[in-house]
Amino acid sequence: MKNKSKPLALLLACFLVLGACSNTTNNTPAAPEKSAESSEPADPFGRYEEPVQISISIEIDPTDNELPPGDTPLDNQYTRQIKEALNVDVDHQFAASGQNLRQRISLAIASNDLPDAMVVNAVELRQLVEADQIADLTEVYEQYASPDIKTIIENTNGAALDAVTFDGKIMALPGVQANADGIHLLWIRQDWLDKLNLEPPTTMAELEDVARAFVEDDPDGNGKRDTIGITGPESGGKLYANFLESKNNLYGFDPIFSAHDAFPGYWLEGEDGSPVYGSILPETREALASLRDLYSKGLIDPEMGVRNKADEPIIAGKSGMFFAPWWMAYGPLTNAVKNDPEANWQAYALPLNQNGEFKPHAATPSTEFVVVRKNYEHPEVPMKLLNNLFKNEQENTFDPSKGGPGYYPLRVVYAPSDEIEFTVKALRDVLAGNKTAEDFANDKAYKLLPSDIASIKTIKNEPYDSMDIATWNPEANWGAWTRAYSIMVGGRPLVDTEFEEVSSLLYEQTPLMESRWVNLRKLEDETFLRIIMGAAPLETFDSFVENWKRQGGDQITQEVKEAIAQ
Amino acid sequence: MRMKGFAKHYYLMLIPGFLWLFVFSIVPMFGIIISFQYFNPGKGILGSDWAGLEHFKYMFLLKDTQEVFSNTLVIASMKIVANLIAPLLFALMLNELRLMILRRWIQTIVYLPHFLSWVILGGIVLDLFSYNGPVNQLAALFGLQPKLFFADAQLFPFLVVGSDVWKEFGFGTIIYLAALTGINPALYEAANIDGAGRWRSLWHITLPGIRTTAVLLTVLSLGNVLNAGFDQIFNLYNPLVYSTGDIIDTWVYRTGLLNLQYELATAVGLLKSVVGFLLISVSYYLAYRFVNYRIF
Repeated sequence: MKNKSKPLALLLACFLVLGACSNTTNNTPAAPEKSAESSEPADPFGRYEEPVQISISIEIDPTDNELPPGDTPLDNQYTRQIKEALNVDVDHQFAASGQNLRQRISLAIASNDLPDAMVVNAVELRQLVEADQIADLTEVYEQYASPDIKTIIENTNGAALDAVTFDGKIMALPGVQANADGIHLLWIRQDWLDKLNLEPPTTMAELEDVARAFVEDDPDGNGKRDTIGITGPESGGKLYANFLESKNNLYGFDPIFSAHDAFPGYWLEGEDGSPVYGSILPETREALASLRDLYSKGLIDPEMGVRNKADEPIIAGKSGMFFAPWWMAYGPLTNAVKNDPEANWQAYALPLNQNGEFKPHAATPSTEFVVVRKNYEHPEVPMKLLNNLFKNEQENTFDPSKGGPGYYPLRVVYAPSDEIEFTVKALRDVLAGNKTAEDFANDKAYKLLPSDIASIKTIKNEPYDSMDIATWNPEANWGAWTRAYSIMVGGRPLVDTEFEEVSSLLYEQTPLMESRWVNLRKLEDETFLRIIMGAAPLETFDSFVENWKRQGGDQITQEVKEAIAQ
Repeated sequence: MRMKGFAKHYYLMLIPGFLWLFVFSIVPMFGIIISFQYFNPGKGILGSDWAGLEHFKYMFLLKDTQEVFSNTLVIASMKIVANLIAPLLFALMLNELRLMILRRWIQTIVYLPHFLSWVILGGIVLDLFSYNGPVNQLAALFGLQPKLFFADAQLFPFLVVGSDVWKEFGFGTIIYLAALTGINPALYEAANIDGAGRWRSLWHITLPGIRTTAVLLTVLSLGNVLNAGFDQIFNLYNPLVYSTGDIIDTWVYRTGLLNLQYELATAVGLLKSVVGFLLISVSYYLAYRFVNYRIF
């Protein structure tokens, strides 16, 4: 609730700005960049002689209390290191939390009052390119990207650069995230399963049985019927990841959809070979029917879609299952375990579809982009900041308990696509005594591996092949435990189970989507949520399909077909 | 002419108001142009290409537009009626209360919510009606199943109107109480002597005595009929109740600011302004007609 007071003021400010701004002031031709570049050779890590200013946007969680006393979001281990290493002074043009940051960025775009650099998503990037508000970074990337980062970007088979290349120019610096971020797993309270003598649910029928037991058989042993079977998305959350936001969907039902071979929100190959939108297929209807059934039986959180924070019941030990990617110890699980050391959350690649397969939908590697304002005097500074972060992560300079990496200015993730799987195997070898840190000396792209190896034995007790919470020692180092538990538990199903991923044919917007997609998505999201929660009959799905096609869906499908053919 | 000496001061006093109006209402009107353009923030309002009436055509195609306009009208009308009746009844009841101290206390307590913002009150209301909240616990005593009140689209407008009345009726009561004290007590004494009971004097003296106030307040609120309350709805709604709870202002906010559809949002906002302008003109005329209320 606390975040919602701003919008009216923002709206008012927006109209003011729109009314007052004109294009004349911002379009003065750029001259100053040339002199800076020609005088010195490009050095990805070079320190500036004179202090250089950069204003950025940053996401800040106001409830975060990680920073040591005296430090601020503008003055902490990260900004001080940047000042020392690069002689760059970082300033915040604006700081906001989560959803508010997206509003603030939209406002900055609309009023053409951009920070020198900021991190944006794919839709915002396209908007900025079309409005001609951001700088061409082709030369910056070529001259200043550090070799390690270049390797990671180029190892995506061109996907990362394609996402930022417009008319042959590189318009933004793409982040590259691990594949694992796009694979949604079943997280389950193993201690509840054990207490009720149950096995992890492999089929939808078993999932229902387990959820019923979690709701009805008092797994937390307090004598009250107050537990949730399956946590659902929070208010404003997504039921499933889609082709534009293809990864890190928390508490959605992605694996339940894929257990029905349904891939809503993705562009799939139809029977005749031409593209078709997954949300309008009969499999999606089936999956919705099954979710509707689970919800009506009270096995999914009755307050899903209305709750402000879906992770609260998980932290409070009131929820037994949820779906999310591997990194959940970075999410609610650290606090859940602090509250209840017995909370034995484990991850599985479940439930399976009728053929007994786990078929998750796959994400695109780049969903976050650093853009630089047109006419900013030092367009290479953001690239240098990213080089600097990567290098210092390799060298383990920063202590996450003195403020998380979110405080690093313009942070986007650079991870080799198999970072999680590779790290799981490496740590297993180290624990088993087969390998030591020296064996991985050449794997420099896996930047956090050395510190992972250094700390694993202090937080993981024997037996090393069991991942139960009782075999961990988080008190020794909560920061290292969060990462190691995420990797070893959340990464285990990715390494130990075989599965085939389903990709979307397209991960970006086509031209007509710019004006129509918002309303089509709204139609889809609302209809599906209402069907699941019983506010509309299942048959609404059929009229949704018709409306969707009529309101531009058919034309957009045609555009997708053309886009793929190119 | 008689007032010439005073008039200057009166006009001087208008200046801050006009300044405010100019800065916050006239200048932003410049932005209306966006709805006729393919707005490109990089080129600005003066440089963007013209789109003609295209966004307006698309606006009328969208089901959303009809929905938000009708939602706005329904919720605002319900609020006008409820905010007329509730304070009136409460003022009448309070007026019958003979114990002065109690009356003052009640008055103070009921108008307190008026001073709190919807961010706070919205949180309180959501908590009250949440799945494990007091309302559901009370219902459970009568053997009823818990219900997610704020996920029910049928119920949502009533919850909005109800909570708005709860916030505002105490404040509205003050105006009616003031009108009630303006009634000449001699009328009641005369009626008493003529043998009129409480109901009679209520019907023939009290109600006619505050009629002008009631009519005036109603007529003036007509001008607000398209302002169904952004703050309140924004703090209470969720996607499940968009179908009955999404109003023009919340829709424009989401479409324009969250989804970067500036042109469409501006077009809808403009339509709202046009309709609102007509309604204000009509209500001002009505106020003049029925209760002779004029600004100048």
